[in-house]
Amino acid sequence: MYQELNPLLLSQLRLAILSYLMVAREAEFNILKEKTGATSGNLSVQVGKLQEAGYITVEKTYKNNYPLTLCRITPEGIIAFEQFYQDLKTYFDNQKPPSP
Amino acid sequence: MQTTEKILSPLESLQVIRETIDIAKRTFRDNGFHFLLWGWLVAIASLVHWYLATNNLHEHPEMAWGIMVIIGMPAAIIREWRREKNKREPNVFSQWYNMIWLGFGISMILAITLAVKNHLSPTPFILILMGFATFMSGIMLKFRPLIFGAIVIWAGALWCLFLSDVQHLLVQGACAIFGYLLPGYLLNQEVKKGHVPGA
Repeated sequence: MYQELNPLLLSQLRLAILSYLMVAREAEFNILKEKTGATSGNLSVQVGKLQEAGYITVEKTYKNNYPLTLCRITPEGIIAFEQFYQDLKTYFDNQKPPSP
Repeated sequence: MQTTEKILSPLESLQVIRETIDIAKRTFRDNGFHFLLWGWLVAIASLVHWYLATNNLHEHPEMAWGIMVIIGMPAAIIREWRREKNKREPNVFSQWYNMIWLGFGISMILAITLAVKNHLSPTPFILILMGFATFMSGIMLKFRPLIFGAIVIWAGALWCLFLSDVQHLLVQGACAIFGYLLPGYLLNQEVKKGHVPGA
């Protein structure tokens, strides 16, 4: 069963990042750090993995002369999340005892 | 929420999704500003229109609505502009919320145009649309007073069937008070108390 779930999203932090971005659509790196309670280093690594998979984009820009890292979910990321959620539902449905 | 790099079980995955989405939704809030602004303006404009029309005090009593728009639109736009400017955490729920009210605004302009063109009172049509947008807001914010407000507004629209066009204005004023103002004040109180409807 575990093989059927997207292994990239079976990481707590990566799943938390993608779940947050499903609602927010985009978020500053510091906001993600605050919301997930992750360290900068760990968050940076997991954001990089999600970016490599094409699930999020990372834009480095400036706001009031301060550097700003903006993470944004991509259409592929939305599809991957929805598929993951669907797979989870299927998993739990299969756990239910068959009705007589 | 403390997150670590660990491989999740399906149940843990579901918990992470639920917790994170709850956290993200908490940034979506409404302090009832627009319900209070438009509640007062619609209530006053309805009564002014009704008073001018029943006493034949003005050739165009409907000008009350023009004045309402002149006051209300800049206030609403400035409020939204300030909110957008200060927003650090965008949220798909607030985008949907804004789209519902944008759709309401467009539908209302079309409904008024068609009703006036066909010599019908636009009030019942406006009330149906007001009820729908208020109902959707109540559902999205999970705030029951707005849902009850929407029911009052829809009931007002039905009541118009039995009244004259001028009396429709009184119903609209009452709907603004019970459908917008009362829920708006309650919503404002909730946010001041630190509760976040919708979270």
